[in-house]
Amino acid sequence: MAPKGSKAPKARPKPPDPPKEYPTIADELLAAYQESRPYQTLAASKGIQNLTANEKACYAHAVFLETGAWRSWPAATQNEFWKTIQSEKIPIPLPKPQDLGRDTRGIEVGKYTPAEFKLYLRREREIEGLLGKTMGYLRAIMAAKEHSPRVLELTEHIISMNAAHYTVWLYRSQTLLALNSSIPAELEWVNNVALDNQKNYQIWHHRQILVEHLVQDVGSDEGKLRELGKSEVAFMKEMFDEDAKNYHVWSYRQWLVRKLDLWQKGEIEDCERLLREDVRNNSAWAHRFFVVFSNPRYCTEGSKATEFDGGIPDEILDREIEFSKAACFEAPQNQSPWNYLRGVLKKGGRKLVSLECFAGEFVKIPEKEGEGEEDVKSSHALDFLADAWAEKGEREKADRALRLLGDKYDRIRKNYWDWRRALLKSDGGGLGGIEGQFVVGAKLFGH
Amino acid sequence: MTFLIKGKKSQQRVRFIKRAIAGQGSHDPSPASESLHYDQQQAQRPDFITENSKDKPAIVDDAFGASSRSVMSAKTASMIPDLFTTLPPIRDLLQTGSSRVQDETIQECLPFLKGADLNVQCNEHGVPQLDRPRHINFLHKSLRKLPAPYVAADASRPWMFYWALAGLAAMGEDVSQYRERLISTVQPIQNSTGGFGGGNGQLSHLAPTYAILLSLVIVGGEEALEVIDRKAMWKWLGALKQPDGGFQMCVGGEEDVRGAYIAAVILTLLDLPIELSRESPAWSREGGTLLTNLPEWISKCQTFEGGVSSRPDAEAHGAYAFCVLACLSILGDPHIIIPKYLDVPCLISWLSSRQYAPEGGFSGRTNKLVDGCYSHWVGGCWPLIEACLDGPSLGSPAGIQVAPLTAVGHLYSREGLIRYILCCCQDQTKRGGLRDKPSHNSDSYHTCYVLAGLSSAQHRWHFNTSATKTATGGMLNSAYQWTSEPIVEDLQIFDGADRVGTWHPVFVIPEGAAERAKEYFASKGGF
Ligand SMILES: [Zn+2]
Repeated sequence: MAPKGSKAPKARPKPPDPPKEYPTIADELLAAYQESRPYQTLAASKGIQNLTANEKACYAHAVFLETGAWRSWPAATQNEFWKTIQSEKIPIPLPKPQDLGRDTRGIEVGKYTPAEFKLYLRREREIEGLLGKTMGYLRAIMAAKEHSPRVLELTEHIISMNAAHYTVWLYRSQTLLALNSSIPAELEWVNNVALDNQKNYQIWHHRQILVEHLVQDVGSDEGKLRELGKSEVAFMKEMFDEDAKNYHVWSYRQWLVRKLDLWQKGEIEDCERLLREDVRNNSAWAHRFFVVFSNPRYCTEGSKATEFDGGIPDEILDREIEFSKAACFEAPQNQSPWNYLRGVLKKGGRKLVSLECFAGEFVKIPEKEGEGEEDVKSSHALDFLADAWAEKGEREKADRALRLLGDKYDRIRKNYWDWRRALLKSDGGGLGGIEGQFVVGAKLFGH
Repeated sequence: MTFLIKGKKSQQRVRFIKRAIAGQGSHDPSPASESLHYDQQQAQRPDFITENSKDKPAIVDDAFGASSRSVMSAKTASMIPDLFTTLPPIRDLLQTGSSRVQDETIQECLPFLKGADLNVQCNEHGVPQLDRPRHINFLHKSLRKLPAPYVAADASRPWMFYWALAGLAAMGEDVSQYRERLISTVQPIQNSTGGFGGGNGQLSHLAPTYAILLSLVIVGGEEALEVIDRKAMWKWLGALKQPDGGFQMCVGGEEDVRGAYIAAVILTLLDLPIELSRESPAWSREGGTLLTNLPEWISKCQTFEGGVSSRPDAEAHGAYAFCVLACLSILGDPHIIIPKYLDVPCLISWLSSRQYAPEGGFSGRTNKLVDGCYSHWVGGCWPLIEACLDGPSLGSPAGIQVAPLTAVGHLYSREGLIRYILCCCQDQTKRGGLRDKPSHNSDSYHTCYVLAGLSSAQHRWHFNTSATKTATGGMLNSAYQWTSEPIVEDLQIFDGADRVGTWHPVFVIPEGAAERAKEYFASKGGF
């Protein structure tokens, strides 16, 4: 778009014809910005050394304008400077457009059309005034402890302007319960607010209060509970389509599984569906672990996630091991299934050695150091083997694995691997998965 | 394009160009867009606090970048370990959503880690200086333009004070100038039933209460400390205490480990009694205190991965790991209480996995991206863990002598973290401030916690025996037994002037402030 060096006209380079309308406000601002600094653009595209003498001079002036360097010059020099600016018609550069951030719904403001942006600015100014007024009104109502239908209207109005208002949400749920309002209808409404406010967390606590109450109401009506579970899970799927690692949604889901007894109602299948999409989705792995190892049908009540639980049936342990093994094969350097595998072994009181062969699939290191081929496909497998070998008392081998990790395959964690080597020397232990946790751990921590 | 730098004349031009580019991103965001940021701020993350979210990458003007890059890199490349300039040695072929954003993040960070940006001067280790004046200016400015009270309804005003005051104090600024304004801002949002709300007419909530309490302690002075209605606060804590041992964030609100940490901070800093008031839902004839079953409840938040979740059953997350370790370190001496309630080796394994290369920074969860704020949430766990492993520095034998850390110094790569912070987290334009990662705008939340992480990587903390216990002989004195020293080493990758002040490893405010507040309140001998 810039004129060629040899044919460069004396006049300032012509900016590209601006289209009448830009698709977004960010485009419009950027175009205006670029238009205001044609010489900088020219220099960038041609290279400074290829500019004509006049262009070079104009370029320098434009840059002085942009930096404000001229301000520190003596008055006479400044006058000279401005004369040239005027005679050469050098435009005054606009400041570089800043990121416009996101609106309350998390949408990038820069992606608004210019017309939308105008409306948006006006709305922003109004909202501040309006919110102040409405909040004042609600405050008076709250002080009078009034729980009436108009509270629902008022809080809905405030939430539509700003969904991050914990006081308003709490007062709304109190009012809903006081009025005996329809909770399914409220859930329906909250769905839309949640989809529009992906990162909002008050919504999920509100939901928890509603469902808690609904469950009390419905009592032991199995059918109704099943319906509720289904619709909640369906809604969460919509949320996960946006962000499959949304922490608030997952926390709510864990709460819901306990509340509605969803242990064996498709939770594991749902995790698998998400893991098929992204086997590195650690939130899905975490949920699976919770569903499998907190299920009251066979798990010991109060058994912590990091503890052995004698109640877990062997077939479940085997199934979980097979599942994580398959995932390790799919992407060996994915830490999620390796963490999962260790968790399963600990729950089942099984030794890491029981999976030595499996982990060995990903690690080829020669018997003698420096002799033969070395092929490590997963640093997590090597970590696993180090512990398995420590478990067997093969300290030398374990030490070599840890050294390889620190020196080659996971150098950023070298200090950690060195500490593990020190642990090994002190008691021959690793971070093994047997009951009572660690050979060393038990001794170290006196329990 | 090529633009060779030869001879004196061109060099001058290079410098001139640098200024030109540095000036570009300089104009201030409009007040409207800034208040939007705060809206976003409420929304993000595990919301210990909520942080500013994404914002587009600052557009890097590449006009002069390409050529200068080679010049700069040639000079410094040899001093930057290849660990921080090359892809990880093992990479899977399978691509998924997680691996794609991870790869993008590495590509986004590499030019900064390589010192490839001409606009930024690097030392011989390829590390830029801490742009103190701009970061200081950024935080001062954040206090001049607080978000509008209603638009930013979710407690962000109190947080803005805390983030800015803590950050400024750590960079050596006198923050007493803000005392009056802080007091007049927080007085009206204290509720007579105890605690502070996020804004006018809002229910008391632990998050803004924590931010306000710490802000008052940072500015210090009797007038500031006397703002707090301690007796009402104590009653309110009783109302938040749950029969299972934890704390709700506000009456009727969610119960999570932030509540546990903040309640412990309030109890010890204000020197409140741990008895339960009769109105508390947790009160029973059998007795029990505000602390009953608190560590037991916390202990249920450790996950199979070794990390800690916001509440039992959820996924391990960096922010909550800090809350839990800091809470325990208030309830007792770290080397005794942490191993009693958490599986330490498993926790260390998970914490250590949070550090990635080449980025050098920490992530918050398995298979998530590095983010500057975890420099504190994860980075801040290390001093507590190290004290847990090494035991007290003075007097009695260490808790865990078998493999003391002294053998390896630290459990994580301090160099990696410092590189990530100084290379990737600084906004190098006139805007200043620190950020999540290069594609994100700076904000005061990240400025505060990135600086806290930097400080923690520059200093060593010692947990001492009761020698330094306050004279009160009261409860919860463990948090006042910490002392620090700068880490001095032969190969220091950051400039001496870039050492920031020390932050208390439990309270996350400049060292000394908490000690003074505790003493002030303890000397009252009652409400
Ligand atoms: Zn962050």
